[in-house]
Amino acid sequence: MNLILAQYKASVLSLSRNPGYFIGSIVFPAIFFLFFAPSSVKTPFEANFVMGSFMIFAMMGALLFGFAVGIAQDRASPWAVYERTLPGSPLTRLVSRILNGFTFAISAVIVMAVVAHLTTPAHLSLAAWGRLALALVAGAIPLSLLGFTIGYFASPKGAGTLAQLFYLPLSFLGGLWVPPQNLPEVVQKISQFTPTRHWGEVVWPAVTGQAWKAQDFLSLAVFTVIFGALAIWGYRRDQGQRFS
Amino acid sequence: MTQTLSAPYTVALEGRAVARLDQVSKRFGQTQALDGVSLEVRPGELLALLGPNGAGKSTAISLLSGLRRPDSGTVQLFGLDPQEPKARVSLGVTPQETGLPGELRVYEVLDYVQAYYPSPMPRAELLGRFGLEGLERRQCGGLSGGQKRCLAVALAFAGNPKLVILDEPTTGLDVEARRSLWEGVRRYQAEGGTVLLTTHYLEEAEALASRVVVIDHGRVIAEGTVGEIKARVGLRQVRFCAAEVPDLTGVSKLERENGTITLYTPDSDAVVRQLVQKNVPFSDLEVQSVSLEEAFVALTGSR
Repeated sequence: MNLILAQYKASVLSLSRNPGYFIGSIVFPAIFFLFFAPSSVKTPFEANFVMGSFMIFAMMGALLFGFAVGIAQDRASPWAVYERTLPGSPLTRLVSRILNGFTFAISAVIVMAVVAHLTTPAHLSLAAWGRLALALVAGAIPLSLLGFTIGYFASPKGAGTLAQLFYLPLSFLGGLWVPPQNLPEVVQKISQFTPTRHWGEVVWPAVTGQAWKAQDFLSLAVFTVIFGALAIWGYRRDQGQRFS
Repeated sequence: MTQTLSAPYTVALEGRAVARLDQVSKRFGQTQALDGVSLEVRPGELLALLGPNGAGKSTAISLLSGLRRPDSGTVQLFGLDPQEPKARVSLGVTPQETGLPGELRVYEVLDYVQAYYPSPMPRAELLGRFGLEGLERRQCGGLSGGQKRCLAVALAFAGNPKLVILDEPTTGLDVEARRSLWEGVRRYQAEGGTVLLTTHYLEEAEALASRVVVIDHGRVIAEGTVGEIKARVGLRQVRFCAAEVPDLTGVSKLERENGTITLYTPDSDAVVRQLVQKNVPFSDLEVQSVSLEEAFVALTGSR
């Protein structure tokens, strides 16, 4: 446990001093929100909806880039090889990596909440916050595993670009910038097959006070299984290459 | 991870190998990196693993530090499989200094690494021993090359190890930095520590090692004291122009090309003396020391 904390502390310190990641995953989504939301939303209902969408956008960025780039860089790093010679199991490293990724993802969500409350009439009850937290975590799991997959297959330089290729299209197709019903018809059809759409479909009811539909959680579970299998495949392949 | 070696266990280890490779082979694709290698690191010794680049030294080290598994044979560290974390509690390894986390401060790196060990060396002592006083608050990315190397070496000692593995510790260091690093290693050994050192400098093995194992092409080709090894691979090249050369003693290899004779010998003085005594009409005499790589070419003719 102490070891996990020490690893967690070192990785958080290291990432928080990396302006590229910090600005890209926490500051950029908030600025993006400021461009779109305050001028276009009028009612608390609209504001809550957009805040929910942008929380997904922010959280996904921190997780995708954090895991994809972090893992790809570690795979090429002599320091990570040295860490393997220290008397700890690779499992603690995995746990501290997940804690680290979620720390930045949650920070990005908190920043988004503050910005939304300062610039729009967004307002949620305590119960709605609880449902929102659950909905955010439900979608964060498959998207984290997508980040792991990218990290295990991409080169350190390619990982950021590849993550970007998923991040922006998935955000648009999933209806995070423009609500799904306002998307062009073709895009609406594709949208059904993105994990971000289903992430939205569990977040939006939480912030607008509607009932959840089981099928959306089921879809997220399917994406979790797919990305999880890919991540495990990538992990095994990488371990075989470097440590067998 | 807070396992420590229990007292009876440590006692049982007395006099036995600290680390051991037994008939170990390892292949990477087309390359046979190790081919039936057996070697032992005994308590309190400083064993130098000597060989040219690509000989298999790094593979041997990666097996001993638990990074890789052998294809066949057994690898033991303190009597355990080095892949088990608890086998590595008393092992210290140096990272490549190019990989130090640039955003972390020196004390943060030390805190992090020391968190792995049950009884790490006090931070002030570690900093003092490796010339890092006053640098605790500097970010690793801002250290000079020499300072990074000192930190990398210090990390191998951070957990109070019983065995330290140093992989080419002085490559690229200036003479002064090399001497001070050697001093630190000697001191650790004098206090009872065991060291496994890889190097392709015969001079470094000579300065530090109590025993030397020479590997090339993944095989152990010689093992012995520094003096014994030096006689085998510490060659000099003697080159001169002459039409004919009589039989000379102490020559490892002789090449002729257009009236130029090139020969390799462990004792160039004796060879030159013979040339004079036998009245060989030579001209343009040159004597050079030979790198380990060239010595291997001369001895095995294979590189």
